[in-house]
Amino acid sequence: MISVITLVMPSPAISVEALEKYFPPAHSGWRALLQPIARLSERALAGISFLVQQGEAVAIVGPNGAGKSTLLRILATLILPTRGRAAISDCDVVRQPSGARRQFGYHTGGDEGFYTRLSARENLGFFAAMNNMSRAEARARITLTAERMGIAADLDRQVRTLSTGMTHRVGLARALLHKPAVLLLDEPTRSLDPLAAADFRRLLKDDLVRQHGTTLLFASHTLSEVADIADRVLLLEAGRVAAFDSPRGLCATTGATTLEGAITRLARLPSPVESPL
Amino acid sequence: MNLARVVRKIAAFFARDFAIARGYRGALVLETLEALFGVATFYYLSRFVSSPELSSALPDGGNYFAFALVGFAFFDYLSVSLTAFDSSIEEARQNRTLEALLVTQTPLPVILAGSAVYPFTALALRTCIYFGWGVLLFDFTPRAANWPGAVAILLASVLAFAGLGIISASYAILFKRGNPAKWLVLGISGLVGGMMYPVSVLPGPLRFLARLIPVTYSLEGMRAALLAGAGWRELWPSIAALLIFAAILIPLSFLIFGWALRRTKITGTLTHI
Repeated sequence: MISVITLVMPSPAISVEALEKYFPPAHSGWRALLQPIARLSERALAGISFLVQQGEAVAIVGPNGAGKSTLLRILATLILPTRGRAAISDCDVVRQPSGARRQFGYHTGGDEGFYTRLSARENLGFFAAMNNMSRAEARARITLTAERMGIAADLDRQVRTLSTGMTHRVGLARALLHKPAVLLLDEPTRSLDPLAAADFRRLLKDDLVRQHGTTLLFASHTLSEVADIADRVLLLEAGRVAAFDSPRGLCATTGATTLEGAITRLARLPSPVESPL
Repeated sequence: MNLARVVRKIAAFFARDFAIARGYRGALVLETLEALFGVATFYYLSRFVSSPELSSALPDGGNYFAFALVGFAFFDYLSVSLTAFDSSIEEARQNRTLEALLVTQTPLPVILAGSAVYPFTALALRTCIYFGWGVLLFDFTPRAANWPGAVAILLASVLAFAGLGIISASYAILFKRGNPAKWLVLGISGLVGGMMYPVSVLPGPLRFLARLIPVTYSLEGMRAALLAGAGWRELWPSIAALLIFAAILIPLSFLIFGWALRRTKITGTLTHI
């Protein structure tokens, strides 16, 4: 029976097993010279485990310092875990980082990370080359992705002349150019105004997840956004998984009527109004 | 890693940096003028310090202007080698593109190599501008030059200097700013490497120190090739010394860089400013 299930069940898009991450304490002055070899004593993740299935949208929530960005940065191969294992589409992020990078796109919420004197097209072309795409393939993908992201008309403008919302879309286009199966987003709507944020959320939910079946793992402090997009919510607290369930499941478990109420109870915060996540 | 892909990526870096530089056209005009001022300074300095004693101290009995011009122009290759790699990391950190680059399918060594291509190309252009001003206005006549020999010395020098540059970049990724090793290498090389005066005028211990740094062999070889038209047999000791430096420094630099990169991924400080 187990082997039949194994055969039928697709492998998870993201698997995280007993993942731990410790950082060295921050030093200044002369002691900063010892930082590279300092003892790793500050815990950021305390052995967390979870699976994200293909095509699923999972939100990571939790207070500042809970380990959300650390988790995303480990999955994005930007930092190494201290112990445990993480894999994207079966590619271990430590042992097969380049394989993992083929599988994911990564985008953070700031409107930075571009060569601002170059046009959006030039930026995307450069990053397409960095992702092993030929010139012809890159041209075709840039046109297609720009249309999907609604930036086709602005492709030839210098990035420094684009609005924050537009730059975000260019950032998302960059993350999607190489057709990743998994999209990792760190506070994707952080610097967007409410209208642009709603627009961006629609794009994520309707286009990426529903139409194209992209797996989405995103960190957010905006619970309405989480309720809007996420199939499941991973609540991190002090580097541990405090809960991992669907928004409805979290409400049922806590007896709350809204996701905000459920998260507040689970995270033991005073109230969503006084201290939003 | 597929070589064709690496070449395509390095070409993409060059295209990126060229497109950015194109946005600052005025800078090229100003750099050309700056080179003129530099060359003119050496020319008038050489007229002031010319003496039979100096001429006899110069290798191949050449004039001081040509000696200093070649020294000045090619010492820049050491400076650029030491700064190009860590500057590319520093710049990418500052404009927040480092993170975006690191999540692509391009390993950091290729990112470093790609980022250094444009600075070296711009430097080659600057060298041509220096020599151009020298030829046009100041009677610099490298007629007997062994140009293929000069190119061989240049390539061997860039390989030897690149090892130092990558070690310098390792410091930059570990400690972010201020790079005492870079300034130490530049300072010692400027003092004993023979940029402005022949190594033979130095006291014994400094002459010995000069033999331990690659720039000495680079400048000696380059002057021999450009000013005295030395043949391959005469150039070979300089080329061999530079290749030995490269054979030691490049693997060592990759080891140090690999360790530094791993440590910053453990400490989580790779993209910190």
